[in-house]
Amino acid sequence: MLFELIRLEFLKSFRSTAFAKSVMVAIFLGFLAIMLLGYLLLAGLFLTRIIEQLAEGQDPIQVLNSGIIFFFLVEFMYRYFLQKLPVIELESLLHLPISKRKIMHMLLGRSFFSPLSIIALILFTPFAFNEISIQYGVSGAISWLGSILFISWTLHWFMLWFKQRFEDSLIGVVVVLIVLLLGGGSTYMGWFNLGELVAPFFNFAMTSFIPLAIMFVLCSVGYYMAFSYYLNNAYLEDLAEEEEVRFVNQSVGFFSRFGMAGELANLEWKLIIRHKKSRTILMLSALFLLYGMIFYDNLANQSGPMQHMFIFVGIFITGIFMIQYGQLFLSWNSGYFDFFLSRKDGVRNLVRGKYLLLLSISLLCFLLSIPYVYFGWKFLLIHFATFLFNAGIMIHLITYLALWKPKPMDLNKGAMFNYEGVGAAQFLMIIPMMVAPYLVYLPFSLLFNFYAGLAALGTVGVVGIIFFNKLSTININRVLKNRYEISSSFRQEL
Amino acid sequence: MIQVTNLKKQYKEAVVLDVERLEIPKSECFGLVGNNGAGKTTLFRIMLDLVRATEGKVEIDSRDVSKSEDWKRTTGAYLDEHMLLSYLTADEYFQTLRKIYGLSEADLHLHLGKFTEFFNDEIVGKKKYIRDLSKGNLKKVGIAAALMGNPEVVFLDEPFENLDPSSQIRLKKLILQIKEASQVTFLISSHDLNHVTEICDRIVLLEKGKIINDLRDRSAMLAELDAYFTG
Repeated sequence: MLFELIRLEFLKSFRSTAFAKSVMVAIFLGFLAIMLLGYLLLAGLFLTRIIEQLAEGQDPIQVLNSGIIFFFLVEFMYRYFLQKLPVIELESLLHLPISKRKIMHMLLGRSFFSPLSIIALILFTPFAFNEISIQYGVSGAISWLGSILFISWTLHWFMLWFKQRFEDSLIGVVVVLIVLLLGGGSTYMGWFNLGELVAPFFNFAMTSFIPLAIMFVLCSVGYYMAFSYYLNNAYLEDLAEEEEVRFVNQSVGFFSRFGMAGELANLEWKLIIRHKKSRTILMLSALFLLYGMIFYDNLANQSGPMQHMFIFVGIFITGIFMIQYGQLFLSWNSGYFDFFLSRKDGVRNLVRGKYLLLLSISLLCFLLSIPYVYFGWKFLLIHFATFLFNAGIMIHLITYLALWKPKPMDLNKGAMFNYEGVGAAQFLMIIPMMVAPYLVYLPFSLLFNFYAGLAALGTVGVVGIIFFNKLSTININRVLKNRYEISSSFRQEL
Repeated sequence: MIQVTNLKKQYKEAVVLDVERLEIPKSECFGLVGNNGAGKTTLFRIMLDLVRATEGKVEIDSRDVSKSEDWKRTTGAYLDEHMLLSYLTADEYFQTLRKIYGLSEADLHLHLGKFTEFFNDEIVGKKKYIRDLSKGNLKKVGIAAALMGNPEVVFLDEPFENLDPSSQIRLKKLILQIKEASQVTFLISSHDLNHVTEICDRIVLLEKGKIINDLRDRSAMLAELDAYFTG
């Protein structure tokens, strides 16, 4: 029976809409994962050297032992953000004569097969057998590595419990903050050095099997805790996350001046605010406002060949939302696309409404980026020119590319590593998006100077804005022309 | 067979279900009717231990459903499409159930044989994932699945909904045949008063979570229900 369940899980992931429909995306993600694990392996192989560089003249083992707790702090963080809860589709199994215990063991077991579980293994195995085994023998290396692995795996089970117990509640966030503060902050502020405090435990692990045994017991306790919590909560109401309507009356009054398109922009705004995936993108664009800090700060960059990079930065700062949200242009509405098809002028107003929204957010980003004037007036000019270019040209370009075989997307699933709705187009479209501004900018900036390039960008942008109606009609007609294909692909009839 | 005692379901302040006492004897065909939001599906879900009861308990064969899981072997249910494994084809789904219920290929073949007419050549042997089936066909798969493994109790939520008229009639015939041949207890909720009065020996009327009428007289059922729903 357990085997049957495992087979079903395998089939499920293999056939999930997000995965099976696009081989390209799967290959790309697989490649990405292998690359990351490869980097990790390299980091593991060179860990001794890295430590020697960082702390010259000290015993690398001692340094690592007093620093390793910070690795676990980081692990705690990335597990908190990345680790998925294995509760989906429980409903399809609960009514069958398979005991809940079995189902839960299987779900928990499955969650364990994740790249997150082997990060510690990859990172510390070379060190254990190159360094520790020399001084403390192979048994010391095994015991040390084992203790570390079991800590990592204890975190895995603990996080499963923790996230399910406190998800979306303030307590969870507070606990995470406290852990971070006590862990990282305390050392930084000099209250006490956490690394030094726990180092003896890891030192002890090299000479004795007791720490390994302790961690093994802890790991088992963690598993049992997660298991019994999930078992006792294996009810539809507990596991289904019903989001409360928290954002009532969040209309943007300003949109209503634009008639029907404005109404649809308002609808779109509600869609963004009420779904996790779109909310994440919105927050990301707020974060990207800080992107300039990395580049503008550096004086050496300000007037070297590096300044060509600023165009790119400017495009991102004022247009990241447009790029991220716009690249899934219609997929956001895939659940009810027929709603627009069945209204008079529905598609036209939908596209216009989206434009209105994207432009407003882009304008907002531009306004919020004004404080960069602190680094020089030049940056205001850069942002203004790139904003004009985004508003005049990029928006149409992104939409045009996004309308190439749009795919349906389930908004109610999480945002991290959710590639539903992403097809080959979404990857390929990055290229023209990077190239387009430079096509306009580079000739003028190389022939004349930097500002001529900016002026060219701005002018082209203004021309685009003047011909806004013409340009937007191209995309509207594209949707109208392909409406049958789009609508049937959204209904997943293909 | 089934016993509900002092059952209550509460979401914060709102009481959505409050059933003091309900007994369903073996081999009865029990119908549940009521307007939207009356608590029909919630009652079924609690009876199947899919939703936690706030108070009280449900017993199938005098075993509390939330305490043991033995009753699951002899209970079949189809409430909605989430109960199906949407990423399988119908054939694969039946195969999976066959293994879960420990049936032989011949058993399965025999079982599906009963549904040949009902399936109308649209389910078996089709290379289509369950998630891509139409609503009517989903229902057919779910009903056939609920009846697998010779259950003693079968829960069906709105079995006639989304089915075409001939399928509705075929389903009615099927249920009557199974009732005749074995001692299966059926629990059926439906908005279709004609169908439900035709197959059920007893109909319970639910309003705002409370049982307001328990009809056992088959001849007067339809008229009484009509009177209630007309208002």
